[in-house]
Amino acid sequence: MSSASRRLVDDLSGAIPFVMALAGWALLSNYGNVPEYMLPPLGQMWMRFREALVDGSLLRHVSGSLYRLAISFVIGNAIAIPLGIAIAMNRNVSDLLRPVLTFFQSIAGIAWVPLAVIWFGIGMGSVIFVITNTIFFGAIYSTVIGVQMIPKTLHRAVLCHGAKGMQVFTELILPGALVQIILGLRTSMAYGWRALVAGEMIAGSSGLGYMTIEAVQWYQTDTVIMGMILIGLLWLMLDRLLFAPLERHTVARWGLLQR
Amino acid sequence: MSADAAAVAIKVRRPWFGERLLSGRVLKGALGLLLVLVAWQVSVPLVGLPEYFYPSALAVWRAFLELIRKGILPVYVADSLGRYVTGVGLGTLIGVSLGLLISLSRTTARVLAPLVNFLYAIVEVAWIPLFVIWWGYGLKVILVALIYVVMFPILYNTLVGIRTVPQVYINALRSLGGSRLQVIREVLVPAALPNIITGFRVGAGFAFRGLIFSEMIAAKTGLGYLIFEGTAHHQTARTIVGMICMGVLWLLIDNVYLKPFERATVERWGTVVAAEERR
Repeated sequence: MSSASRRLVDDLSGAIPFVMALAGWALLSNYGNVPEYMLPPLGQMWMRFREALVDGSLLRHVSGSLYRLAISFVIGNAIAIPLGIAIAMNRNVSDLLRPVLTFFQSIAGIAWVPLAVIWFGIGMGSVIFVITNTIFFGAIYSTVIGVQMIPKTLHRAVLCHGAKGMQVFTELILPGALVQIILGLRTSMAYGWRALVAGEMIAGSSGLGYMTIEAVQWYQTDTVIMGMILIGLLWLMLDRLLFAPLERHTVARWGLLQR
Repeated sequence: MSADAAAVAIKVRRPWFGERLLSGRVLKGALGLLLVLVAWQVSVPLVGLPEYFYPSALAVWRAFLELIRKGILPVYVADSLGRYVTGVGLGTLIGVSLGLLISLSRTTARVLAPLVNFLYAIVEVAWIPLFVIWWGYGLKVILVALIYVVMFPILYNTLVGIRTVPQVYINALRSLGGSRLQVIREVLVPAALPNIITGFRVGAGFAFRGLIFSEMIAAKTGLGYLIFEGTAHHQTARTIVGMICMGVLWLLIDNVYLKPFERATVERWGTVVAAEERR
């Protein structure tokens, strides 16, 4: 077998468990005496999916969720990374603030949802606050750590070669901390994604999380499962198409990740 | 090494603990925390918002004392911790054994990897509504969600770890007369261990937030419930007590338990060379 066709077989073989799971689902829901509200038949799932697609509600929920995530991601990082670098450049300031940042990072995320509801009410504001909070503290913490992990020797070497002010920043601090910053981005996005779904469930008025928890009230299990599958697919796309390549082009290239 | 020799020759006096405490990071860090608390307390009369909206640090402290005096907080913390330990323990057990079992044959590992990836991507938060439909509100939802959230990072990382073991090692042991079982014990498990630990660390972190969230939705005790219920009754100070307890608890779990564990295993196996070099 040529290597190309072998790879094709490999790729296709990965589909087998999915097909088997679907077949098991179909059998169980049709002949297994399982009530419809616990496991809706596949046909019904498909109908629900088409219905939600046609009336535009699905698209609205998905784009709403992604929009909130994108806004929070940009705001959170745009503040956190410059601030983190500024904090880390001064030893005293960073020593002063590190425990505070550690602490806030450890409670960032879902735990802020109830407080956010008090401050911003149910809806967009609360959800954005919670995700921004998660991403901000994730990013600022890893930025500070990243700058502090740059070896003293390199610092001295750069100064010895006559680097001045801005040069120290562009030649040493930025590339040195970049790896840690990018790893932090990916991790904080993973927490941010959970916070998004959870936040929408408790404090949202639209979005994928809201759609699924709302469906629980009416025992619309088909909608719940549709939401779950979409949440999985969207995260895979985000992680594999956005963060994996980013990490490959930066972290792996700088050679600090040993796999 | 000459650096070692120099260090021995000079024999630097190690400052005693109190000295390090006063001059070092610990003190500055404590000062930082204190500053935040003071700023918080001072800002309350300045902004003049109602207490349920922006409770002061002192109000939170009083709520903390009250929750302790009434015996609520110790019970909640114990409940949360019990759920966490049970869920993470079971999830680790299932994840590791399933991961090794699947990896016994390269074919099953290859065939099942996409399914594992997909299920790993459906975050536990998204499963909770379905669990609630299946089992109603209660402990079962929380435990299954915790098992799920710990199991998949471990499973995923075990599969990756074993897949990346160079075939040469396996061939070498086989040609030296090693049995299949010996290959597993001597090559595959040690090679996958750093990945398993990484998966465990990731899962343990997600599980803690997952615990808080599932307690908000499906429990009547625990820190998540405290955080959620506090705002529902305009007892925002209680919510903040819950959040602070959660943070402290996580830092304790992370620093006392997880990090030393990781140091003892992963660093020994040499995967975190980078951190070592930069120290």
